[in-house]
Amino acid sequence: MAKRNKLEIIKDILTIIHSNHNSIKSTPLLRQSNISTARFKEYFNELIEKKFIKEVNNKNNKSISLTDKGFKFLEKYKTIVNFIEEFEL
Amino acid sequence: MPSFNPQFVRNFVSPGFGTEIIYSLVIIVCSLMIYFGTKELYELSSHKGIKYFRQAFLFFAIAYFFRSFIKFILVYFSANRILDISPRIFAPLLSQVTLFLFMYFSSMAIFYLLYSVMWKKWNGSSKKIYLFHLLAFIISASIILSRNVLIYLGVNIFLFIIVLFVVYTSYQNTKKKPKGHKHNLYVIYLLLSFFLILNIIDILIPEFLQIFQLFIYIASIIIFLMMLYKVLKKTGPS
Repeated sequence: MAKRNKLEIIKDILTIIHSNHNSIKSTPLLRQSNISTARFKEYFNELIEKKFIKEVNNKNNKSISLTDKGFKFLEKYKTIVNFIEEFEL
Repeated sequence: MPSFNPQFVRNFVSPGFGTEIIYSLVIIVCSLMIYFGTKELYELSSHKGIKYFRQAFLFFAIAYFFRSFIKFILVYFSANRILDISPRIFAPLLSQVTLFLFMYFSSMAIFYLLYSVMWKKWNGSSKKIYLFHLLAFIISASIILSRNVLIYLGVNIFLFIIVLFVVYTSYQNTKKKPKGHKHNLYVIYLLLSFFLILNIIDILIPEFLQIFQLFIYIASIIIFLMMLYKVLKKTGPS
């Protein structure tokens, strides 16, 4: 399997959240993301900082959901990748 | 400031000046449409290549703004060359600073465009861009200080050699890839840079390219429109 680039990893993390009815706990998200714990923490913090995802408190549990910006990223992902490829960026 | 100058009025209303304004306006609008049209893609991806690509077109727009301002100054003072304007009749700052800024932003537009395709090859280090800023500063300062046609030509040939080298290196890298079908893009990058360099020569040594001026204007507009079309086609409706 080819090494994923940063954009692909972000897309994969957001897709996992989306495909779990937009609510998933951090442990299964880490497992399904298929990256190391250290890298997952980096990506997680970055996605929170960029407001792609948010932590939601449900009773005693904390789950992760996509924000509108996160949905927008998934919607535009193909356009971004095509643009980068087209202009050799 | 000079008092009423009939020659200025004649030059100002001549079709040449109108063509200059329309020409610059078309290129500035195309560049800004590319810059703002790719804003969302950059905000979502924070991709460095998209960032440098956008910066290139912002700098193209600023460079062409200063170009049209230089043309206005030339018409206003009925001068042929910007450096011919005597410092006595006008604050030397205006013509010299405008020329400096035009050279600086033109060089940086070319460097950003090249950097957008080469940043990965250069290990993604954003420090190299400071070297380009320094190089653009040296190029601009040498133009202001030298007042020599040979140095003007030398600087522009040097710029074009950098463009050729980077485009050729990128082209070779693309050819190694399994789906190397984007070669026409490098032709567009090459032409964008080439025609900007011709525009710089047109400002520095107006008599050098006078008979080709209209051709340069039309070709430059066509290239910018092609680039805008490619960008809009890929970014789609926002």
